[in-house]
Amino acid sequence: MKTTTRRSLAFVGVMLIFAVLSAGCTGGTGSVPTLNIVNWESYGSDDPAFVAAFESEYGCKIANQYMQSEEDLLTKLRTSKPGEIDLCLPNCTILTAAIEAGLLEEIDVGRLENFGSLFERFKTQKEVMMNGKYYAVPWVWGSTAIAYNTDLISRPPDSMSVLFDEAFAGKIAFRDDYNDAIMAAAIVTGQDPNNPGDLVAIKEALANQKRLNRNYWETGDEFSKLFVGGQLSVAMMWSGQAASMKLEGEPIAFVVPADGAIGWVDNWGIVTGTKNKDLAYAFIDWMISRDFQYNWAANGGPAPVNREAADAVDPDYAAAAAMDEASLNRLFFMEYRSDEVKREWNELWTEVKATN
Amino acid sequence: MGAKRRLLALPGVSVILIFAVAPLFIMLYYSFQGDSQGAGLTLENYTRFFEKQFYLSLTWSTIKNSIFVTLVSLAVSYPLAYIMAKKLKGVRNIVLVLIIIPFFTNQLVRVYSWLIFLQDGGILENVLSALGIINGALGLLYTRAAVVIGLVHAFFPYMVITIYLALEKLDNALLEASASLGASKFETFRKITLPLSAPGVAAGLLLVFVPCLGTFVEPRILGGVNGMVIGTVIEDQFFRIYGWNFGAAVAFILLAMVIVSVSAFSRLGRGGSLE
Amino acid sequence: MNKSSFFSGGLVLLALLFLYAPIAVLIAMSFNASKYNRLPFEFSTRWYQDLFQNEALLAATWNSILIALATGIICVLLATLLVLGAQALSRKMQRALQSATLMTLTVPWLILGLSLLLMIRALDFSKNLFFLLAGHVVIALPYSVLALQARVQSLDPALEEASGSLGAGPLTTFRRVTLPTLAPAMVAGGFLSFMISFDNFVISYFLAPFGFTTLPIEIQSAIKFGFTPEINAVSTIIIGISLGCLAVAGLLLELGVSQPGKKNNRSQFLLDVSAPKQYNKT
Repeated sequence: MKTTTRRSLAFVGVMLIFAVLSAGCTGGTGSVPTLNIVNWESYGSDDPAFVAAFESEYGCKIANQYMQSEEDLLTKLRTSKPGEIDLCLPNCTILTAAIEAGLLEEIDVGRLENFGSLFERFKTQKEVMMNGKYYAVPWVWGSTAIAYNTDLISRPPDSMSVLFDEAFAGKIAFRDDYNDAIMAAAIVTGQDPNNPGDLVAIKEALANQKRLNRNYWETGDEFSKLFVGGQLSVAMMWSGQAASMKLEGEPIAFVVPADGAIGWVDNWGIVTGTKNKDLAYAFIDWMISRDFQYNWAANGGPAPVNREAADAVDPDYAAAAAMDEASLNRLFFMEYRSDEVKREWNELWTEVKATN
Repeated sequence: MGAKRRLLALPGVSVILIFAVAPLFIMLYYSFQGDSQGAGLTLENYTRFFEKQFYLSLTWSTIKNSIFVTLVSLAVSYPLAYIMAKKLKGVRNIVLVLIIIPFFTNQLVRVYSWLIFLQDGGILENVLSALGIINGALGLLYTRAAVVIGLVHAFFPYMVITIYLALEKLDNALLEASASLGASKFETFRKITLPLSAPGVAAGLLLVFVPCLGTFVEPRILGGVNGMVIGTVIEDQFFRIYGWNFGAAVAFILLAMVIVSVSAFSRLGRGGSLE
Repeated sequence: MNKSSFFSGGLVLLALLFLYAPIAVLIAMSFNASKYNRLPFEFSTRWYQDLFQNEALLAATWNSILIALATGIICVLLATLLVLGAQALSRKMQRALQSATLMTLTVPWLILGLSLLLMIRALDFSKNLFFLLAGHVVIALPYSVLALQARVQSLDPALEEASGSLGAGPLTTFRRVTLPTLAPAMVAGGFLSFMISFDNFVISYFLAPFGFTTLPIEIQSAIKFGFTPEINAVSTIIIGISLGCLAVAGLLLELGVSQPGKKNNRSQFLLDVSAPKQYNKT
């Protein structure tokens, strides 16, 4: 007994020393500057080939930390010390809140060589600017629309209402996300998806839609397991995941229907208090360069905002992944929403899900 | 001796006070903050919870489900712990570790494996139809039964372990003495085994029921469109929207309910044993 | 007797079958070629090859193991002292302590983690491994405490007093009387705390310093677009190593079975003396 106790005490000691040592290590990496980035996992900035190339070009290190949701990114920014995070990737639904709270620095787009090649419509989004100054740089875009199983459905669906269609009862997967749910229901009930006036009609549509689902899905993983299990005919889905599942040989196709679907844009922002401003600019410039954008888009990534990159993508692939201009023009891009609107939408969605 | 001995609790108590109680006061403060700025302290987050019918029904269904899972876990755990403590002399430590090892994997990965196991056209369906037990689709996934399976799997090992720890110490000689004094098997169980295992059962009930109230992963992935629980509401307030005030309030309401019901329960238990 | 032991064995096997059903699926999928776990099964070692090139995932796994080990050990020590000390406390204090333990069990970890982060920030500390470990200890502690509580009632104060009056110092009494009774609960409690820490996502997520990740963080982050069976592969390896260790330990125990037998007899004897008294009390 005695030796066991002594041994475990020694063990604890060793562990503590370990902890202290590794704390020391993360604290002082020496003279090499580290660019701290908050982004989604497997989303460009943590691609090993890119990281290696950027690190050797600029003599720095790249460290990624992953976000779980847009709102969570705001939490991260609010609770971090100045200088802890250099760059982050907000979408338009939170950008205004982040800028108003002073969490992002003004960006001098003149310092970005590749900024001129971006599509006009993304450059001029109202959310990336405030009082005529830039606070974020658009990076990639995509759509949340309809994926269908080509073994089960031969003609592409032409309306979002397919997700509300009795004919597919039990073979539908709707997204478990208040924003996507309400925007989709607004399209079906003929309202402006970004400013729906009749939330009662939306609630009713969603409540009726509920029993048609095989399930709601929240993460891409839940969707893919259902889909390959042959459980789904049609589903709400992201363009990017549908494209990469197709590349893996799954019988999946993606369409932005005639009555429109949901679009989103991810933007890079430089976090207030960064000590690596030059590196941050170099990073963003690399991210929006033709080569980076083309390579990613052509290999299952989201759609590029760089016009030259978009032109280089094979047109058939672009159409299949809904990166083409026709699809783009049918999208309702998500806009900034205030906290009150988000709370109201979220509560509506909670009520739909909680009511049997 | 008593005073000195009390000091032993000090390190643990201070860890809880410094790293749990103190920070939670910050959240308690949030729970009394209004969503509109500068309104001072308010009860609006608490009243909002009690005004909306669906929050209450969600809470009630979560509690019912947790009670059910706890009872099923007890039914599974007690015999198992008893057998391990009393019947499996040589291999019981090995069985004990065997029960723990599955939990060296990630919860999400385990729940997804259940999904693959239970879904229509999945592994269980194939096994059962090969045995001729079922014909056609299994229809188990996305039902309440699937959620219960997932939750019992996730939590019953805690109960096995605590009951086992209480029973293992129970001396066989005592049981034999009881039998030799003419007590029936059932009487021996009721008068000796059951009271001595009570602390283990109590600890196990807590370790199943309480975490079960808060978990939302199993219900969401295995429960289908009706897989929402009160834990989802709290999670949403922090990860989907900026609703810290309301999220904190819901969490404290849940905490109050747990503390009140547990102390009522333990008082009841004490009253029962006095009779 | 024979029938009943057949029944007992059957029940244990059934329980293990239930416990290992998803584990078997998980292992099978680590060898399945499809990224999306598509059936029918098609054998491949692709995910293991990918895993061994995925330095981030391996480092995260190692970090998780270290933190869980430290958490498990610290929790057992704190819980043992806590449970022993609590015996000397008044009823009221005991109830307060019980509520505090329940609190860390009930309040969602997300809220505990976030409030700890807010506190650290308010005190102007940076995120570091000390606070990360403290967060893990706080959430894993109730599991050790409750495991020990299931056992501590078997301690007989009369026995400890007897040991004291026979001239044994407090340490000797602890070593000879208290520790042997509590040891199984300490081991089990340590395992439970280890497993709570090892599988915890949200505490690590809020408190980990930049550049430090754990396995649950990697998994949770990957799930947005779908995790690959590399995760199954790493889980399979962990399960395999654990089962291997268990087999070795079982073998060693089998070889040295006569020795612990003697010790058992002694504690059995002690218990004989104490049992009736303890029984009267309840």
